[in-house]
Order: sequence, then structure tokens, then C-alpha cells
Amino acid sequence: MIAALGVAELKLLARNKMAATMAFVMPLAVGVSFALSMGDDQWPMVIGLQLLATLGFTVYVTVTTALVARRQDLYLKRLRTGAASDAVVLAGVLLPPVMLGLAQTVLLLGVSFALGAPAPSRPDLLALAVVGGLAVSGAAGVATSGITATAEQAQVTTGPFFFGLLVGGVWAAATPDARALLTPGGGVADLVAGAWGAPVALGPAVLSVLAWTALAAALSVRLFRWDART
Amino acid sequence: MIDVTGLRCRYGDFEAVRGIDLEVRQGELFALLGTNGAGKTTVMEALEGLRAPSGGRVRVLGVDPRRDRAAIRERTGIVLQHSGFPPDLTVLEMVRLWRRGTPADALERLDLAHRRDVRIKQLSGGERRRLDLLLATLGRPELLFLDEPTTGLDPESRQRTWQVVRELLAEGTTVVLTTHYLEEAETLAHRLAILHEGVVRVSGALVDVLAAQPARISFDLPDRLDVGVLPMLAGDVVHEPSGRVHVRTRELQDDLELLLGWARRDGLRLTRLRAHHASLEDVFHAARGAA
Repeated sequence: MIAALGVAELKLLARNKMAATMAFVMPLAVGVSFALSMGDDQWPMVIGLQLLATLGFTVYVTVTTALVARRQDLYLKRLRTGAASDAVVLAGVLLPPVMLGLAQTVLLLGVSFALGAPAPSRPDLLALAVVGGLAVSGAAGVATSGITATAEQAQVTTGPFFFGLLVGGVWAAATPDARALLTPGGGVADLVAGAWGAPVALGPAVLSVLAWTALAAALSVRLFRWDART
Repeated sequence: MIDVTGLRCRYGDFEAVRGIDLEVRQGELFALLGTNGAGKTTVMEALEGLRAPSGGRVRVLGVDPRRDRAAIRERTGIVLQHSGFPPDLTVLEMVRLWRRGTPADALERLDLAHRRDVRIKQLSGGERRRLDLLLATLGRPELLFLDEPTTGLDPESRQRTWQVVRELLAEGTTVVLTTHYLEEAETLAHRLAILHEGVVRVSGALVDVLAAQPARISFDLPDRLDVGVLPMLAGDVVHEPSGRVHVRTRELQDDLELLLGWARRDGLRLTRLRAHHASLEDVFHAARGAA
């Protein structure tokens, strides 16, 4: 059932030009431009920013927009009248953007390696950054959908977290300022930097990602709605 | 099939449903009637397991529909008040999402086969409602909830929906229906309840509910005759200034016979004569008036 819902969700995503552009084109375009414009000794920063852009566009914004659009169409309510449990319904809608985000991350890593990025010395930290980043942006998307009345309004409501993700990432990658870990992107960027051997404090970085995930998940439970906002 | 006692539902400070009892028996069509805002859809959502009651007890197919939603989903079909279709899926994609491996010819039952590859956003209102009904009945449910299934449909589509509902009833399906159309309930329902402001005002078998209201006779009294010339009738007589006379009576046949005999003896023509037992509309207005 999750697979069937996921396939339907992918079709809906692909058939909506605006959402499809955000999810398929934007992160790849931004990611490739990072790789071409920076590169050389800044590869960890490039890869960190590629990951954060993918998390922002493909996962966070897409999850928010999709959940709001499906909720306002009363599709989510309809799905609850069918055989699937609430968890399955939610997973079915969340899975495509999350899997798409993962696929794009892998693709962009391939692009960076092809352009000369060195292999990471700690690939486990890179994996941790990807998994943690997917979790925090997916959960944040669920939470943000709850305070977003229409799919159009998502362009505004996704702003703050998206900003925190990218700017926090740049901040953490560019300076050793520990306050960057207070942003949702700081921990992810530090983990990516650590994967390429940068002397970052791993404990606080992991803690930051965990705390943001827990916060986003708690807010999701409080804010998420199945029925249309009127 | 359904047993409800003392059901209450609130939205914030507003109590939409204020303690109602309902019983729906196997194989019957139970109609839930009421004006907009009477609480029909709220009750339906509580029965469907989509809404947590603020009080009372709800049992559907023997279980709590909210806690054991998964257990009853295989045995129930639901047509919500608003379809909730994703506009960019095609008809066949939606049907297959709803029930995997559904053969394409299943669409013929509700005359949607020729629309199978059309996106849902391009369907007419009637086609959407038929798709709704098709999805709800794909699994041959024992219990079917229909929340205003014919609102906005043209008469032909409405007739077709009624036909499908009758076939389901004949196969033994139990149906809970809400509708704005009283003639729809009068045509289909075995038993009914009329909600007004969150409470049940009238409930029972359709025949009993109708029999509880007096029958009506009305006609124009000729030549400005005074109402005093009428024979003694069992019912109450109201004479409008326009000359029209209304009789509300529990003895329709006797009173009609007296009236017609009197008219014939005096050589009078009673124009615009109507005589009928109470309709659901009369019951409905009486129920609202009892506020």
C-alpha cells in the first residue's frame, strides 16, 4: 500500500509543473552550480551546500507543499476512509520526496567526484549527515504543513526553516562559530566537513541534528492536520 | 450494525452534536436528515472513525470505529461529503490506487469506462460522484456510509445513484445516508432520524414517522362562502383570507368523503383540491418548528 501511494504521489508531483521544478530541477541546478563555481579546496563546503539545497528544495519544500495540497484537496481525509492506516498514508506521501532527495544527493556526489572532489575519509559521517538531514527536513515539512493554509502560501511559510538550513550550513562551514549549531543546517554541514577530515566537534554536531529532528517531530505531532483548513 | 448512545461532539466551544442515540439494523437504509449545520456530517464522521466524540459511546460492527478503524475498513465503504480526489490522477489510476488489481471493466457498473484515462479534474460533478460511489463499493462492503451522495447531481444521475443503492440493499448491504433531498429519503429509507441543532428531533421507521403527522386536505372555497358552511370534520380547519382552506386530519378518508359528499349535495366545485398523507417534508418542518 505504501508503494502504491508513493507511486501515485510521484505521478502527482511530476504532473504539477511548479512542484516538479522545485523537486527535480532546482536542487540539481543549484548543486551543479556550486560544484562548478567553488570546487578545489572547498569541496567539503560544496558538498555540504549541495546536500542542504537538496534537503531544502526536494525534501522540505516538497513535503510541505504536497501535504498541504493533498490536505486541501481532502485527499488525505479520503485516504483515511480506505484500508491504509494513518502511518501508512503519511509514509506514502513522505516517501517519494525523501527517496528523491536521497537519489539527488547520490547523483550530486557523483557529479562532484567526477569534477575532482576527493573521497571522504569518514564516509560514515557523510551517511549520518544525509540520514539526519532527511529526517529533520521531512519532519519539518510535516510540521510546516500544519501552519500553511494553501499550497501557494507554502512559498512563504517554508522560508524561515529553508533559510536556517542553508544559511546555517554556510555559517557552520565558513566559521568555527558554535552558534551555527543552533540552526537546522549547522549540524549537517559540520558532519559533512568532518567526513572530509575537518577538525569539527562531532558530539555537538550530532546533538544539534538530533535536537532539531526531535523538535520538528514534536511540532509535527502538534501541528499536523488531516482535514482541510477552512 | 451501528449502536450509538449519548454521542456528543464539539468543535472548540461549540457543541455540534448534543447527546444523540441511534441504532442502525442490518440490511436497512437509515437516513440521517437535517438542515445545514444540524450535525449530520459530524455524526457521520464519528461513525466512520474519523472524529473523536467528546462524549458517549459509538459501536460500529461491534467495535469502536476510531480505535479499531483498521478492523472495520475492510467491511465498510465511505462516500464523504466532499470527494477528496487528487485532481491530476486519472480515473483508472485512482481506482487502482484504491483497490489494487481492479479490472478496468469494473468502471462499467457506474458508466465510467469511457472516462478511464481522463484526469479527475476534467470530470463533471456527476462523474466524480459516481467515481466516489464506485470506490466505496469496490470491496462489496457490508456497511456503506453515503454523505450527501446526490447533492448537485442532475435528476438522471440521481436516479442512477438511487438504482445502485437499491441494488446494494437487495444484496444485503446496510446503508447510512445523509441527504438534503427529502424525497430521496422518502424513496429509499426504511428508518430515519431528523437532527436539529445537534439533537434527534424525530426518529423511527419511515411509515411510523409519516403516520405520526396528520394528513392534509386543501381546496379553494367557492363564491366566498364562509368556512362555517363546511360539514363537521374530524380534522382542524384553517381558512386563509385568500379563500383557501387547509384541513389537517388523522382521518383522511372519512373527512374527504364528508367533504366531497357535501360538495356534491350542494352542487359545488372544490377547485385546486389536494389530499395527501403527510410527507417527509411536513414531518421535517414540524420537527424544526418544535424547537
